Formats: sequence, C-alpha cells, structure tokens
Amino acid sequence: MDDLSAKSAINNKLFEFTGKGGEFFAIWIVNVALTILTLGIYSAWAKVRTHQYFYGNTLLDGVSFRYTANPVQILKGRLIAFAVFMAYYVSSTMSPIIAGGALIILMLLVPAFLVMSMSFRLRNSEYRNVRFNFDKSFKTAYKVFAMPVIVVGAYIFLLGLLENGMAVNPEGQAFFPIAIFVLVIAMALMFPWWEYMITHFKVVHAKYGSSGFTFSASTRNYYGLYLKMYGLMILIFGLIALSVALLIPLMNSGGDSEEMKAIMSLFIILLVFPAYLWVFAYLQAKRTNLLYNNLHLNDNKVKSELKTGYMFYLYITNTLAIMLSLGLLMPWAKVRTARYRASVTSVDVTGDLGQFTAMQAEKQSALGEEMGEMFDMDLGF
Amino acid sequence: MIKGCYFNGETSEKKDVSLSYTDEGYVAFDKSNIDYINFSELDISPRIGNTPRYIRFPDGSQFETDDNDAVDKMIKALSDDSFQGLVHKLENAKAFVFFTIATVVIFGWLFIQYGIPFFSKEIANILPEEASQYMGKGVLEIMDKSWFSKSELSLQRQNELRKLFNQLLNNIEGGENYKIEFRLGGKIQANAFALPNGVIVFTDELINFAEDDLEIAAIMLHEIGHLKNHHSLRSTIQQFSLAMFVMLVSGDVSTSSSVITAIPVMLVESGFSQDMETEADDYSFEYMKSNNINPNNFAIMMEKLEASFLPEYHECLENKKALSCIKEAVALNKTKKNHANVLNYFSTHPSSQERMQRFKGIQEK
Repeated sequence: MDDLSAKSAINNKLFEFTGKGGEFFAIWIVNVALTILTLGIYSAWAKVRTHQYFYGNTLLDGVSFRYTANPVQILKGRLIAFAVFMAYYVSSTMSPIIAGGALIILMLLVPAFLVMSMSFRLRNSEYRNVRFNFDKSFKTAYKVFAMPVIVVGAYIFLLGLLENGMAVNPEGQAFFPIAIFVLVIAMALMFPWWEYMITHFKVVHAKYGSSGFTFSASTRNYYGLYLKMYGLMILIFGLIALSVALLIPLMNSGGDSEEMKAIMSLFIILLVFPAYLWVFAYLQAKRTNLLYNNLHLNDNKVKSELKTGYMFYLYITNTLAIMLSLGLLMPWAKVRTARYRASVTSVDVTGDLGQFTAMQAEKQSALGEEMGEMFDMDLGF
Repeated sequence: MIKGCYFNGETSEKKDVSLSYTDEGYVAFDKSNIDYINFSELDISPRIGNTPRYIRFPDGSQFETDDNDAVDKMIKALSDDSFQGLVHKLENAKAFVFFTIATVVIFGWLFIQYGIPFFSKEIANILPEEASQYMGKGVLEIMDKSWFSKSELSLQRQNELRKLFNQLLNNIEGGENYKIEFRLGGKIQANAFALPNGVIVFTDELINFAEDDLEIAAIMLHEIGHLKNHHSLRSTIQQFSLAMFVMLVSGDVSTSSSVITAIPVMLVESGFSQDMETEADDYSFEYMKSNNINPNNFAIMMEKLEASFLPEYHECLENKKALSCIKEAVALNKTKKNHANVLNYFSTHPSSQERMQRFKGIQEK
C-alpha cells in the first residue's frame, strides 16, 4: 500500500467508560453532604466534580475528555436562577396574571437560554487539549423555535376564545374535548419535525476546535422514528386497556370490593410502569442512535448502537435498585448507564485524531445553563 | 518520572512523553522543546477518583496522565499547599464516607420531617395577611366556573347557618375576616373548603346530610382551624422548599429517573397535608371542648362523609332524602371490614377511623 491510502484508511476508534460505582458513590455522598452543610452553596462545586468524573472516565482512543467549568461562575448563575425561580413561584401563587406574564417572558427567553447553555457546556468541554465550541447564533435559534411556539400559542389563544364563547353557549361544550384532542394530535405530528430542527440547529453550530460538525439525518428519519413510537404506544397501551377491560367483570364477581380495588390499582401500576419504561427506552435508544449515526466531523463519523431491550433492562433495574436502596444506589445506576452508552459508541476515523486545530475561546456566562437547569429543560446533547 | 501524553493546545496531535522534575521545583519533558518550567507556574487539576490528571503549562499546552499517585507525590514534594486534594482525601476515607451517609440520611430526614414544616409555619405566620388575600383571589371564581353551581338551599336555611357561623366566630380573634359561602357541589359532592382569603365554602350535599346544626359547626370549626393556622400559605411554602431540597440532593437526575423522586415527594407532601388536617382537627376539638359542644358531632360527620363515598348512597339518593340515605349508608359502612390500606400513605387526609377515634374516645372519658 502506498502512503496516501494508508493516510485515508478508516479506523474504528472505540469509546470506553472507566468509572466505578463504588468510587463515584464516595464522590456523590461527599457532594451531597457538603451541599447540605453549606445550604446549597457547594452544589456548584459538586456539579463540576460530578461532570469531571464522568468526562475524565470517558475515553476515546485512550484519551479522556475534560470538563473545565469554573464553579464560581456556575454559583453566580445558580443564585440568579434561584432568585428568578423564587419570584416566579411566589407570583404564581399570588396572582395568575403576573405569573402568566412572567411565564410568557421566560418562554420567550428559552431559545436564548438554550444557546447560552449549549455554548457554556461545549466551551467547557475539551478533548486532547482542544476545546469544543458553539456558535452563538441567537437569530437562527429564534427562527427555529418561533414556528412551534406561534402555532401552539395561536391554537391556545383560539381555544381560550372558544371557551369564553362556550360560557355563553353551553351546548358547545361537547366540542371542547375534541378541540383538545386535535391539539394533542397536531402536536404529536409536529413534534418530529420540531425535534429535527432543534437537533440540526444544535449540531451544525457545534464545533471541535475550528472544525464544524455536520448532520446528515433528515426530517423523514425523525418522522419514521416517532411514527413507530406512536404505533408502539398505541399497541402497548391498547393491550393494557383491553386486559383491564376484560379483568374488571372478573374482579366485580369476586368478593370484597375494597381489597379488589387495591389489587386492581396495583396490577395496573405493574403493567403501566414497565410499558412506560419500554416506550421511553425505545425512544431514548433510537433517537440517540439517530443523532450520533448522522454526526460527522470532517471525514470522521460517529457510530452508536444502543439497543432498546438493554436500555429497558438498565432502566428497570436502575429504578428498582434506586427505590429499594432509598436513593443510595443512584451513583451506581448512573455509572453503569454511562458504561453501556460508551461501550456501544465509536468513531470511524479517517486518518487519525491528531489533525484538528484549536480556536481561541472567549469568556462565558453560566447564567444560561443554570437557568435552563432550574426550569428543568432537557439540554443534554 | 511521570508517563503520559502531551498536547500542544494548537492541534489535537498527541505525543507520548515523560515528565520529570527536580528537587528545586523545575519540571521538564523528555521529548519536547519546552524548557524547564517552575512548578509554581503549573495548573494541576485536582484528583477526582481515578480520572486522568491534567497539568496545564503557561503556554496553554497540557500534559495528561493516569498515574495519579505519581502526580500526588510530585505535589507533595514541591508544594506546601496543605489543602491540595482535601476533598479527594475525604472521599477516600471510608470512615468519613460512612459518617457522611449517616449524616446525610439523618439530617435529610430531620430536615424534611421537622425543618421544613417548622420554617414554613414561622414564615407563614410572619407574612402579612395580604399574602393570603392575594392567594385566594380568583380561586372561588375558578371553582365556580369549573365545578360548582348556585346553592339550592333556601335563603332562610343559609341565613340560619350564617348566624351559626358568626356565633362561632364571636370567640375567635380575627374572625371578622372570615366568610361563609354555599354552593351546589356537583362532582365535588359533600365537602367543605377553606380558601386562603378567609372564605369557607360548604357544599349543599354536606349540609343536607347533617341532622343537627352542631354537626355542621364541628366542620366549620375544622375549616376555621385551617385558616387560623395559615395552612394554604404554609403548604405552598412547604412544597416549594421540598422541591428545592430534592433538586439539590438529587442533582442532575436524568429525566428517566424523575419518576423515582416523584413518589417520595408525593409521600412527604401527603404527610405534610395529613399533619395540617390533624392540626385543624385539634383546633376544632379544643374549641368544642371549651365551649361545651359535644366533640362527638365531629365524629358523626366523619362517619357520614366516609359513607357518602359508597355507591349505595348515591343509588339511594335517587328516590329518598339525603338524611335517611346517609343513615343507611353509615350502617352499611359499619358492616364492612376496614383494612389498613397502603394507599393511606398517599392520602392527603389521615384515615377517618383515626380521626373519629380521637373525638369519640375523649368524649367517653
């Protein structure tokens, strides 16, 4: 073989997670204790330490990732977010109008938070002493988010008008559930497109050093994934509903109703909970695969082979373990999930991983990320 | 000598190198063109479990190694900073970790069980009356819109009950701010509520199955107990503090496990709510005792309320009066076995059995 083909040969480089449950447990419990003792102040340091543990144990081609965020910056963000959250919470219990107004303003800020949060997270991530990066294109973020917000907002506004109309004309009330149903269906049909737009937005603005990521998935892939999931949901919950419907007459024929009711509700929980987890595992596995398998960086391509069955097994055993241990096995659960995720992820590298060049980064505010965290948006990438 | 790899910071190129240092505090690599660097200029990452260590140089280049012990040894030899690696030492001291587990569990439990209710009570008592007024604003309108309809009680009956309510309030400080309203419950059925702004709502369904007005008075006193203790405000504060606490402790629990935190939160919140019901019961009981009202009236109402959930009661209502139906229902309910139900822990109210026992038992003494 000549030199040229050797250089462009494709190597599959593996991800690997080397963390251990017991080790992370010690880190976690000390984090929790110091957080309680400092009335929450230490939580910023705890967060950094946890991230550093997971980044540091994630190896690609034998080299670790590094999380470099400054805890003081995160603390500042947290304090501001806490104040905002508190103000929102108090106002929401006092006046629905003020709370509604505050909620609308916060909703309008969501795209900006998302951009700031992505930027903070990526700029504080390093691999081989080269930083990741995120282009802060607020304009595009607002364009991506505007459509669904406008559609849903307009629909809710119409619904409000409709409801007021109905107060005058009570016969129209039967129409109301139909209107809600239409909204749910419309949202379900719009969601894959929306998720594609957001994912695409995140990927194409992300960079490693000076090289930009590209995304090769299409809206069609997302519709395929979600339609399958909706089908799965209808199938599973349909079967459950059917079996419950068949069981009710059986139950009624047998004796003490109070006891039966309790058994019945337990039975439904035992059926519904795994079903919910299965659908959740399916969605998590498939959308992660869809994202990573279409992620390119120059001539390098990520590969991810998460399996629904194994994810389901992880979720159900994690849930049981955490519940039975009153939360003490949470670190163990997180570590084994990370280990599995890393074990099925790899990168097809053309040439080698030493070819990337760095870019100068500017200082970042932690505000966006922390605000996002407080309002419980899923900002994971 | 510490083995590891070197990254220049301009590209992602990796070089395997060894780092060596002298006793005088100078550091250098074997295969690079970097000169000796003073140890004090290095930025060494703290030790976190067994994750790799990073040593950053002033020019932005970085050395990465998984030989943690060697790095610690170098720091010990060259640095006089005794705080270096303190958290890691804590994490590695088994006794400390076990001590921490105990502390976290005990303090966490004490904080949730006693701390949150205590502080919420204090804060609710300090906050001005306007806070409660604000909270209650519009609540009745919303309830009217979605559940209630106009009361079907005669005006004369309503006035009788209002008179009774005002009589009870005569002995109560701040009672002039409390009002009573009547509504047809509909789906809500027999019930009574205390809204934060001092309005107490009774449904017709509840009024209808009371035989003696003192039975209604007992419930009125329970609702007044909620108002006197600022329970709405308190539960808002409690729920908020609990949410904050769970968020801090569980940290960034992923979305998949939010189910896991939801169940304990529900349990704790229903525990809080049960405590407040008991407090309101206490208030009612104390008032009745000191004003010579038979506390048994409360127990009777509890029995009736419980029986009013039986399907037989609702069937009966279709052709008979509420009063005779409820008597049948109470009798029927007594014949049924009553099990302690696991679901009781999720309930917002203590079990009626327990509540009745208190009012009956003390009466018999």
